[in-house]
Amino acid sequence: MEIKLPPRPGLTGILSATAALNLLPLLGLSIYCLSKPEGAFRALGSEGIEQLGNTLLLLLLVGLGVGAFGSSIGWLTASCNFPGKKLLTIAQLIPLATPAYLEAAVLTDLGSREGLRLHGLGVAAAVLILSTLPYVVLLSRDSFRQSGRKHLEASRSLGLGAWASFRRVALPMAIPAITSGVALAGMEVVNEFGAMELLGVPTLSTGILQRWQGEGDPQGATSLALIALAVVAVLVAAQRWQRRLSRRWDQGGPGDHFEGWQLRGPRAWLATILCLLPPLLSAGLPLAWILRSSDQLRQENLAELFGLSARSLVLGLAAAAMAVFMALVLAIGGRWQKVAWLKASVFMAGLGYAVPGAVLALALLLLFAPLGLPPLLLLLYGYSNRFLAVAKGGLDANLERLPPSIEEAATSLGKNWQEVLRRVHLPILRSPLLLASMLVFVDTVKELPLTFALRPFNFDTLAVRVFQYASDERLGAALAPALLIILLGLSSALLLSAELKQEKIEPLPPLAS
Amino acid sequence: MLASCLDAKAESVGVYSGRHYNSDKELYKLFTKRTGISVNLLEAKDDALIERLQAEGEKSNADVLVLVDAARLDRAANLGLFRAVKSPQLLQQVPSTYRDSRGRWFGLTRRVRAIIVNPKIVSPNSIRSYSDLANSNLKGKLCLRDRKSVYNQSLVADQLVSRGATATTNWIKAMVANLAQPVFSSDTALIRAVAQGQCGAALVNTYYVARMTSGESGKEDQLLAKNIDLIMPIPAHVNISGAGVTSSASNPEAAQKLIEFLASPTGGKGYAEANNEYPLKGYGGNPWLKRFGAFKSSGISAETLGANNKRAVQLMESNDWK
Repeated sequence: MEIKLPPRPGLTGILSATAALNLLPLLGLSIYCLSKPEGAFRALGSEGIEQLGNTLLLLLLVGLGVGAFGSSIGWLTASCNFPGKKLLTIAQLIPLATPAYLEAAVLTDLGSREGLRLHGLGVAAAVLILSTLPYVVLLSRDSFRQSGRKHLEASRSLGLGAWASFRRVALPMAIPAITSGVALAGMEVVNEFGAMELLGVPTLSTGILQRWQGEGDPQGATSLALIALAVVAVLVAAQRWQRRLSRRWDQGGPGDHFEGWQLRGPRAWLATILCLLPPLLSAGLPLAWILRSSDQLRQENLAELFGLSARSLVLGLAAAAMAVFMALVLAIGGRWQKVAWLKASVFMAGLGYAVPGAVLALALLLLFAPLGLPPLLLLLYGYSNRFLAVAKGGLDANLERLPPSIEEAATSLGKNWQEVLRRVHLPILRSPLLLASMLVFVDTVKELPLTFALRPFNFDTLAVRVFQYASDERLGAALAPALLIILLGLSSALLLSAELKQEKIEPLPPLAS
Repeated sequence: MLASCLDAKAESVGVYSGRHYNSDKELYKLFTKRTGISVNLLEAKDDALIERLQAEGEKSNADVLVLVDAARLDRAANLGLFRAVKSPQLLQQVPSTYRDSRGRWFGLTRRVRAIIVNPKIVSPNSIRSYSDLANSNLKGKLCLRDRKSVYNQSLVADQLVSRGATATTNWIKAMVANLAQPVFSSDTALIRAVAQGQCGAALVNTYYVARMTSGESGKEDQLLAKNIDLIMPIPAHVNISGAGVTSSASNPEAAQKLIEFLASPTGGKGYAEANNEYPLKGYGGNPWLKRFGAFKSSGISAETLGANNKRAVQLMESNDWK
């Protein structure tokens, strides 16, 4: 994006620092591994090829799944009326708050009691579709809600029905948001470790850890990690390319009285069922497990549970603040940046998400532990590095729709970038910023490998407890903390939706048109 | 208040532990009560703890590293993460098979890899040792956990040492050919599959079976467990969980005291009992373990198991144990 604006040394400084901070772990890791005397990359081998193949196949299946279901649900909850819509809109966040490794553990456990072997690629794809669906739902819904209601009203006045209006008007406009969501889901797929291990699907992520820690082969691990990185780079690039193809500026805000399409009869029920399925499955599986295993639930130590929740909460809030701040710097600074290598760094900085959490943890330990940095600081650094892409995706998608003329106008009126940020960007980005904070918060609360490897003494969190018990094959003990994770995630989602409801969406200033 | 803070600072010990059982924490509390030394605890996966300690180097706050599996203890020792300890008490409490010959780490609990069968499918009398799992009459009846399981890795290392490479290779090949299903990723799922008759025989650690038979994992599992027979292979493969004082320890005396406590009959019993593991000697009075009967260990030392781990994994990989 080229915007004709004067140079901004201050902003460039902050931008470079932020990008550098986020590139450091990746660089450190590559240098460490490549400098090992054992030398060059190991060939992929048949195992590596299987891992890569599985990862790509999962990407394809999950991408198609979340793209189709996610954008449909996003559209339905944004622009249609059907029975239970209000509740179901909020319920879309339940899958987000349910960690994939928990779903996998519960599914395999229930299955093995019924004599069913639930494992392998198909099950893994289903679990991942379920757990990453909210990315697409949220981002596309936000886009459907905000963009182009006037277009929709126009299409309605032209006699297009709900479906045609969705397909021919709304969908093309929401493509950037949907691809952002699909790309995020894809990164999650490349990254997922716990569920893949439980379901016995060898992927790049499990392969990296297996080679590094299981076989003591950091070179082999790095070669896999670089492949994972390439896969994610392709995802991010595809997302940007797609956005460029579909670039449209918002011309004016949403219409005043848009009630949405009223769905009736079987269509309405179909909408209800479609929106009900993801939350029902993701909350229903753990609940079904509890119902089957009530005799395993034990008297919980409430004080301990409270401590676990408090730590998860504080970590989540801190990580959300840090990641969203950095994402904002990169998104806005990148928009105003013309220097090619800086633009490239900004792009690369968002790729940290590709590195599996456990590998990122190792990189941070290798780089900073010898300096004696406090573990808590490393942990927060790790979170914000890892979830930067989650925060940045939504901001980018929204900024893409903001006509550069707005910034140009503000600048021509003598406003410096801080003021443009405060008076133009922040108000416009309010809803995506809140959404990004919530996503990072929820992701942090359920995050596992970083928390596991970097936390200080006596600092267990809910996710840590869940995984410890689940990996000891003692699900009964894992249930209470797991429910608290879901509860924390849901309350943050409820807060968000209440906050967004209060928001009055002001039409953009007239100079935009 | 201030005095107690200062006290805690004066006498505390940092523990990185690859074990995670709530009962362990009770035991640390008991240690604090007895000695006045408070325990700071970080539990994580063994390999991640090794990496972390390695990266932290001298700056680490860990005084004790507790790991599950002989090979990991051996690896940590080879990486220089442990310091040698001279403790007459530990030498007396920990049999030499279960500790490092140079005094860098000490076993604390024992884990036995046993064979389970569904008597409706496989006659319990037809199996006496691990090598019997290679019999062709088990074709389509055997189930195994995956190669990543350290319990399987150390069993293969045990067989490598006691029976040699050729016999072990043939054994693995035959077992893989006998598989009824793709490899499993947990012992509990294996036990259920045998109990439900999808598999006739499997290799599992005894404590998973004890957990089910004792009703700890629910009535459903308890009922299921009635369908299986546990066979103690002769000789049986024994792995350990253990601990050592870290090289970076700032309070090595307190660290040693903690390990001595954990190896003592009280501590050892506490560590082993809640997870149905065997203490260093005997059953520790655990009725479920007693029901499994006595076992004769193959006698391969934990140190030897560790030294042969890499070869074992390579052998599994090249013979298609997934």
